Amino acid sequence: MIRMTRLPGRLTRQVPTAVRTLVVLTLILGGLYPLAVTGVAQAFFHDRASGSIVRENGKNVGSALIGQLFTDRNGNPVRKYFQSRPSAAGDGYDPLSTSARNLGPEDVVDSPGRPSLLTQVCARSKAVGELEGVSGARPYCTADGVGAVLKVFPAVGPVARAVSVNQPCPVRPFLSTYQGVKVECASPDGDYATGRTVPVRGDVRAVVPPDAVAASGSGLDPHISVAYAELQAPRVARERGLAPAVVEALIREHTMGRALGFMGEPAVNVLELNLALDRALGKER
Amino acid sequence: MSGVVFIASLVVSLALVHRPLGDYMYRVYSGTRHSAVERVVYRLIGVRPDAEQTWGGYARAVLAFSAVSVLALYGLQRLQDRLFLSLGMGPVPDHIAWNTAISFVTNTNWQSYSGESTMGHLTQMAGLAVQNFVSAAAGMSVAIALVRGFARGRTDLLGNFWVDLVRGTIRILLPIAFVGALTLVAGGVVQNFAGPQELTTLTGGAQDVTGGPVASQEIIKELGTNGGGFYNANAAHPFENPTSWTNWIEIFAILLIPFSLPRAFGRMVGQVRQGHAITAIMAVMALTSVTLTGVFELSAGGTVPQAIGAALEGKEVRLGVADSAAFAAATTLTSTGAVNSFHDSYTPLGGMMTMVDMMLGEVAPGGAGSGLYGMLVLAVITVFVAGLMVGRTPEYLGKRIGPREIKLAGAYFLVMPILVLVGTALAMASPEQRASMLNSGPHGLSEVLYGFVSTSNNNGSAFAGLTVNTPWYDVVFGLCMVIGRFLPIILVLGLAGSLATQSAVPESAGTLPTHRPQFVGMVIGVTVILVALTFLPSLALGPLAEGLS
Amino acid sequence: MLEPHRLLTSLPDAIRKLNPATLWRNPVMFVVEIGAAFTTVLAIADPSGFAWAITGWLWLTVLFANLAEAVAEGRGKAQAATLRAARRDTTARRLRNGTPDGRAAWDVVGAAELRQGDVVVVEAGEIIPGDGDVVEGIASVDESAITGESAPVIRESGGDRCAVTGGTKVLSDRIVVRITRRPGESFIDRMIGLVEGADRQKTPNEIALNILLAALTIIFLVGVATMQPLAIYSKAQNPGIPDTLTLDSDGVTGVVLAALLVCLIPTTIGALLSAIGVAGMDRLVQRNVLAMSGRAVEAAGDVHTLLLDKTGTITLGNRQASEFVPVDGVSELELAEAAQLASLADETPEGRSVVVHAKRAYGLRERRPGELEHAEWAAFTAQTRMSGVDVNGRRIRKGAAAAVTEWIVVNGGRPGGDVAAIVDGVSASGGTPLVVGEATEDGARALGVIHLKDVVKEGIRERFAEMREMGIRTVMITGDNPVTARAIAREAGVDDFLAEATPEDKLALIKQEQEGGRLVAMTGDGTNDAPALAQADVGVAMNTGTSAAKEAGNMIDLDSSPTKLIEIVEIGKQLLITRGALTTFSIANDIAKYFAIIPAVFAAVYPGLDVLNIMRLHSPRSAILSAVVFNALVIVALIPLALRGVRYRPASASKLLSRNLSLYGLGGIVAPFVGIKIIDLLLPVMS
Repeated sequence: MIRMTRLPGRLTRQVPTAVRTLVVLTLILGGLYPLAVTGVAQAFFHDRASGSIVRENGKNVGSALIGQLFTDRNGNPVRKYFQSRPSAAGDGYDPLSTSARNLGPEDVVDSPGRPSLLTQVCARSKAVGELEGVSGARPYCTADGVGAVLKVFPAVGPVARAVSVNQPCPVRPFLSTYQGVKVECASPDGDYATGRTVPVRGDVRAVVPPDAVAASGSGLDPHISVAYAELQAPRVARERGLAPAVVEALIREHTMGRALGFMGEPAVNVLELNLALDRALGKER
Repeated sequence: MSGVVFIASLVVSLALVHRPLGDYMYRVYSGTRHSAVERVVYRLIGVRPDAEQTWGGYARAVLAFSAVSVLALYGLQRLQDRLFLSLGMGPVPDHIAWNTAISFVTNTNWQSYSGESTMGHLTQMAGLAVQNFVSAAAGMSVAIALVRGFARGRTDLLGNFWVDLVRGTIRILLPIAFVGALTLVAGGVVQNFAGPQELTTLTGGAQDVTGGPVASQEIIKELGTNGGGFYNANAAHPFENPTSWTNWIEIFAILLIPFSLPRAFGRMVGQVRQGHAITAIMAVMALTSVTLTGVFELSAGGTVPQAIGAALEGKEVRLGVADSAAFAAATTLTSTGAVNSFHDSYTPLGGMMTMVDMMLGEVAPGGAGSGLYGMLVLAVITVFVAGLMVGRTPEYLGKRIGPREIKLAGAYFLVMPILVLVGTALAMASPEQRASMLNSGPHGLSEVLYGFVSTSNNNGSAFAGLTVNTPWYDVVFGLCMVIGRFLPIILVLGLAGSLATQSAVPESAGTLPTHRPQFVGMVIGVTVILVALTFLPSLALGPLAEGLS
Repeated sequence: MLEPHRLLTSLPDAIRKLNPATLWRNPVMFVVEIGAAFTTVLAIADPSGFAWAITGWLWLTVLFANLAEAVAEGRGKAQAATLRAARRDTTARRLRNGTPDGRAAWDVVGAAELRQGDVVVVEAGEIIPGDGDVVEGIASVDESAITGESAPVIRESGGDRCAVTGGTKVLSDRIVVRITRRPGESFIDRMIGLVEGADRQKTPNEIALNILLAALTIIFLVGVATMQPLAIYSKAQNPGIPDTLTLDSDGVTGVVLAALLVCLIPTTIGALLSAIGVAGMDRLVQRNVLAMSGRAVEAAGDVHTLLLDKTGTITLGNRQASEFVPVDGVSELELAEAAQLASLADETPEGRSVVVHAKRAYGLRERRPGELEHAEWAAFTAQTRMSGVDVNGRRIRKGAAAAVTEWIVVNGGRPGGDVAAIVDGVSASGGTPLVVGEATEDGARALGVIHLKDVVKEGIRERFAEMREMGIRTVMITGDNPVTARAIAREAGVDDFLAEATPEDKLALIKQEQEGGRLVAMTGDGTNDAPALAQADVGVAMNTGTSAAKEAGNMIDLDSSPTKLIEIVEIGKQLLITRGALTTFSIANDIAKYFAIIPAVFAAVYPGLDVLNIMRLHSPRSAILSAVVFNALVIVALIPLALRGVRYRPASASKLLSRNLSLYGLGGIVAPFVGIKIIDLLLPVMS
């Protein structure tokens, strides 16, 4: 082994080597490598490498891996389609703006212009309930679809005053009294910061499944849970005039089970299911 | 239950693979022969591959290479609109470009930008992905240099950085990445050079399906514990992580090198059991964290998760809560920072675990290379604290831990907490910086704390609610990343240099055994008490306050 | 160990040590002092019982640390006072012209005026005025002033017993001494300095530990300081929560911040570290060993290889009769009787051992020399190398094989071939043969051979086994031939031996061990040991040894006991273990303190944090005060341990670690939980 001459603190002496190394490695790792991977991938897995595009009647209608909105121009659900999860990607399922909601687990008090995560969950639960004709009630949610949260005063000690903080007047508070104190509705210009925040669980059980009210991480989740699909099945069947059993069968057909039986969760691909429904309808005609 | 099998399958697979891979890495870094390709590379870059460097020379090479990389990556982002494959994206704003350049060179991959709307394919492929390789290889080189410090005696030479860098890249990362990338493509990860493809959805809406060389970047992002997503949604994006089994592969890739390096370490110091002990320390802490994270997420604590009925906010249906939690633990236990679900919406205690993972100093198992050297520094400190209790001047692997060694190790272990604590305090003291918080109350504090923990540890994941593409955060986080990466590297190399000059003290019955369970327990205790407990006050005002209400 | 009066007498010193100019050398306690000063200001500005209580206990924390150091030093001080008394000004009779001729004329000068090379004469009853070598004469000297040993020792010119120490007293005879040291640098001066700890320098290990403690202090300093913006934010986020004693809109109150900081930084070890070092040196002094540097004491703990002189350390130092081997035609009893008779006039230990063995093995009653009438005794002399008796015309001799053989020939006999064979056999087995011969009118003949054997000390084998378990290799050094050496080595259970050892061999062996990264300890006394003593990592010179040897070693054993080396190693280890144990204890303490203080400060604003109050301390102020009080009292509680050192039993590193880890690691975690809880229960009772 040859000893390199000691360079007294000369960082700059190494720079030419660093530049050359970066150039050479960039050619290998940033050029040859991705090109080689692309070449092999396109040769052997052309469809997948290109985005698992789904074609219908000669037209690309989406990617099997990217969720879609099944709503009309006004944002209302198209009733003959299974609906996807809530999405925070742009205006919903926008691959150019993928995102999660990023609101925390205790984000329960609405502020002007931004409903709390809890209220978003409650509102969606209520809407889904109405769409599917089931109860949209959830724990910590009011019947009118906002977070069931009180501000109680003073912050410490016995309760003297209680305000349902997410229910602006003149809405009737979801509770009439709290620990013997009458619950007020929230005055639009009231400052309730000094109160103690008390979410009220209530004693309802949710019928609408969790994934129906929780936004995904990507905002592009192509799947819904089997429970959410089954919740929607009667409505879709009704809308399409199909026997519920046919729809159930299609759900099962488009349910991706756990890989190897233990990875992930069973999931129903919404686009593929809806496409299959459209095709089923076409066949029946 | 399937979550338990999921974790068990990862454990078994890593147990099976770490040995051959560790042995292979040992041969890669100890071999004296150069392959034909490497000889060509050495000729091109003008390096005599058999000329070794002192610790100073090694450190200067690391720093020079990193500095050049930062400048090149900055330039590439600023000029991307004038080059090809830009997809029509303009130049990246200066503070974001600086932050991103540092972020990828320091193996952090903190992203204050959104991939699909900021970076063209060329920047991703020839800039970001290249750094994914070389920043990991640089980290591994530094770890190997430290191991040589333990393994060698009476020399001031630690190897040649350029050789270690090239070998780590070409012999270790590249082959695994190539196979891994194709495997991911088979699962549905895209790999093309197309731009967004507009199509009409079933209900007549418009949707732009994006393209890009994703698979080739996705695999090295995990394998090199980098974490920078091609897309904003990172590994939650179905094009980055389409199925539950690609999820498994990505977690496996994250843990693969950090858990194999201790084996290479054991081989290099000639005592395989020393490597086992390091692996055991890492594994115990990692399993504890993975389990706790999973339990917290599955029990869905917190008002909103309770209202939803599961901690599913920010998580993908196909991946499920349990496997998402496993990914979250893996990505924060290493310095990866890729996410397949969004930590900001985790349960308070589940989210806290992701922070605690990083607060341990990213050592269980930590980043590619950085995990091993961080752990060895902790072992040195442990040997010093507890080693005195056997009545000998503490020694680790035959090397005495004297004033010089403890000075370097002590300084190493000061860097990260000081960056995190001072940074968080500065941000929290400023109303302007607090305005970046999306959430209020303790969760807002958690967002800021998370940002500093993540950047100072070179992790890169985030409580993403925090708006960080502001000049202040871009600059300050950039500083955290630079200091958090290179100051420890300099100290580690200094330590390596100091150890290498010592001749080994022969082992005897009076030597503190560093391969037994008692030592494993001791390192864990020191790590938890000295490193993690430092953060207890801030955790108490953030996630603990939120989770214990 | 720690009498109350010692605490009391050390108190003034402890208070003096509060001076920041000296305290800054101990960064941990310096930070505590700043904290105490800070809370004092706050308590004056905004007096409250709580603020004053915290302030008081923070000052006590510093004071207790100083007290620990003062007590440790106090013991040395007492000893130094005794030594100073011995150094009281003496006068010297300095010979003119510096000639070593004891009959030359002299001047009376003060001891302080003596210079190197001066020659003085000292007579019975006089104090030796300075360190030096005896150049003429022989005298018995009382060295109790230094060694505490009242039995006088012999000092004579030439050889290895020529060194005398200033301050010691000549009891008999008259000696001429050449002064080898300047006044103020004499042995007794250095000794005073050492026991007082005046020139105590931090050892590498202590420096390293201080660096670690400083790092911990910095981290907690930063941790506590940076908590403030977070606390202010948290308070502002909950405007409805009233201000408390611990947290208001300006954040955590200064008193509480200082309290938290002091509780978290490693005060326990910071307070006791210096005392541990002083006490470690002191323990050596107690065993009459003077270590010239703390580094040497630490090195003793690290030693891999012990070089031990055979004589005095491993064996009793003299050979003993173990067997009588008769020649053909002589019975064992016959030989035994002859050997006994021949040895009655031999007062050397070897001669005595023959008599003893004859009695023990053959039941031969010991006879007094006067019992036999007309007996003419031939005492053992170095010239004749034999002893014997002439009685009733029979002459019996026993002694060195060559001498007796010659005697037989002179007396007209022939020793016979089988005697030579027996002699060779005994030699080959490592023993020493003495031949017994008799001469009568019929002629002279050999009766047989006495087999003399080195006797290994009782218990030494076990001692070496312990050493082995501790990972220390023992090497026996002997001038014996390899055969003898091997036999003794095997019997004593040493790991290795160096036979027919010359000083050069010793030096080479040490260098060879060190080459392999091993630390070597040895003892020596002669001038020719000096190079080896200097080369060894731990070189213990015997006080009886030459000045050169004492100069070369880094420790001096005043008792000149060859087994002292083993004790020194144990003291070295004990010193390091004590440091490590208290460091571990100190750091482990932090867990409980976090659990006491964090909920106390923040539970008001986030009531959920009260679940962290696992000790169920009854109020925030009591929780914080209890933690601070515990933190201070634990220092006092551990002073005896710091001074005495943790209990040390020789064992393998693995066993030691398990034991100390469970005692000081787990103990360190549990103790404060219990202690703080108890203080929390007692506080309301006391106030």
